Amino acid sequence: MKFLCVECDEPMKLTDTKGPDDGSMTVVFSCPECDRKIAMLTNQMETQMVRSLDVKIGGGSAQEEPMAAIRNSLAQKRDDIFSSSMHSHEETDQSESTSKCPFTGAVADAFEASSEIVWTRQAEERLGRIPPFARSMARQGVERHARERGYKEIDDAVMEEVRDQFGM
Amino acid sequence: MKTYRDIVGDGGSNIVEQVTAQKNRLKARMDSVRHIVAVMSGKGGVGKSSVVVNLASALALQDYSVGILDADINGASMAKMTGVRGQALETGETGVMPAMAARNLKVMSIDLFLPDDSTPVIWDAPTQKDAYTWRGMMETKAIREFLSDTEWGELDFLFIDLPPGTDKLPNMLDLLPQMTGTIIVTIPSELSQFVVGKSIRMAMELLRTPVIGLVENMSAYMCSQCGHEEKLFPGSMVEELAKRHHVPYLGRIPFDPRVAVCADEGSFFLEKHGDLPATIAIEQIAHRVGEFLKQQRSGDTDLRRL
Ligand SMILES: Nc1ncnc2c1ncn2[C@@H]1O[C@H](COP(=O)(O)OP(=O)(O)OP(=O)(O)O)[C@@H](O)[C@H]1O
Ligand SMILES: [Mg+2]
Ligand SMILES: [Zn+2]
Repeated sequence: MKFLCVECDEPMKLTDTKGPDDGSMTVVFSCPECDRKIAMLTNQMETQMVRSLDVKIGGGSAQEEPMAAIRNSLAQKRDDIFSSSMHSHEETDQSESTSKCPFTGAVADAFEASSEIVWTRQAEERLGRIPPFARSMARQGVERHARERGYKEIDDAVMEEVRDQFGM
Repeated sequence: MKTYRDIVGDGGSNIVEQVTAQKNRLKARMDSVRHIVAVMSGKGGVGKSSVVVNLASALALQDYSVGILDADINGASMAKMTGVRGQALETGETGVMPAMAARNLKVMSIDLFLPDDSTPVIWDAPTQKDAYTWRGMMETKAIREFLSDTEWGELDFLFIDLPPGTDKLPNMLDLLPQMTGTIIVTIPSELSQFVVGKSIRMAMELLRTPVIGLVENMSAYMCSQCGHEEKLFPGSMVEELAKRHHVPYLGRIPFDPRVAVCADEGSFFLEKHGDLPATIAIEQIAHRVGEFLKQQRSGDTDLRRL
């Protein structure tokens, strides 16, 4: 499904999603030209369909955390599934953005402040393929690599260079 | 006015991209598994899970690297039968480490996530009305996660313990088009033999998956005192059945209470009992499975190439 702003003849872009709420999702699209907004409201079947694909509307292709559906959807589960030494990992995993975890959030903030290197969208996407708990380390590694070579921007070519090192 | 094809991308919902990413993740994980073998049966309770554990342990005892995926979400038994129930899982670099049974046998089962033996698998559903469809969907989702989010590492064999019946096999093949083949387990009762015919045809004709062979379980009762062998069901025709459908007959495993005892305590029957008829039978079957898979590697029997 695609949405077109008829007036401007421009494809609309997804701007917001809400729900599912009582079996319905709200997906807001807007026109980049005239800023007109429309909302797509799904019925239960449509919501199920999206869910059955195990995707998020507007979500990235990067994995959230291993076995997310099992962990998050089992009504009754063991509270000691994961060994305690890995607990910190779990916390990092579950935060959708690193800022939810005070520790990694602070590290990421501090790091971003000191870094003037720009990431292209493609490079960000490639970074997104790395599991969440390893992402910030990988980001630092790539930026270190770039800084050492005096790059101002991290693009696909730079990612290629470091790929072997980090397995992206 | 622009049409569908004029517009590149999907406006940011990224659904195709996400589905592709899921597929790629699963494929990448399975690339390091040499043989994926699903064990199925037409009827329940014929000894599928028992055959899975015994074949897997037979191969693990020969120093192959072997994993078991419990795809029977509502009747999970692999954790208990391999003695890993209650093991804590660890998160590794790229996923969750499987539970580790004896002989480095790797096990992943929903049982490892449940608090105790009597807890049923219940999924948080958005509405109770949809609980039924929801359930099937969550099961498939869980199996996909088990396959792609477990750090299986390099495996020679991954056994999949399916729930009874054939309805989950198409689903499984959807997830795992690279599946090597299926083993079908039956007992020599008339009804079981009747149902197994359907399973074979389903696997071969509809799904075009190679059938590695038929295992006849609980074929006879062996008296532990005098060794006298008594048929449990008169007139077993499982071997003929296999011939009729042109699938290999892998062998018969006699009924032996010690098989059940080992399953209950989570120990390997083959390791505990060296030279019983059941032990020899299981080893023979494991050998034949190994032979079949060697052949398979050369591509002769891959029906999916047709
Ligand atoms: N050859 C055998 N001798 C004695 N007991 C056996 C034998 N094979 C299986 N059993 C026992 O029979 C019972 C059923 O076996 P099992 O759980 O393996 O069947 P299943 O086909 O996996 O069942 P389900 O359809 O419920 O998944 C178990 O208690 C098992 O230990
Ligand atoms: Mg079973
Ligand atoms: Zn006797």
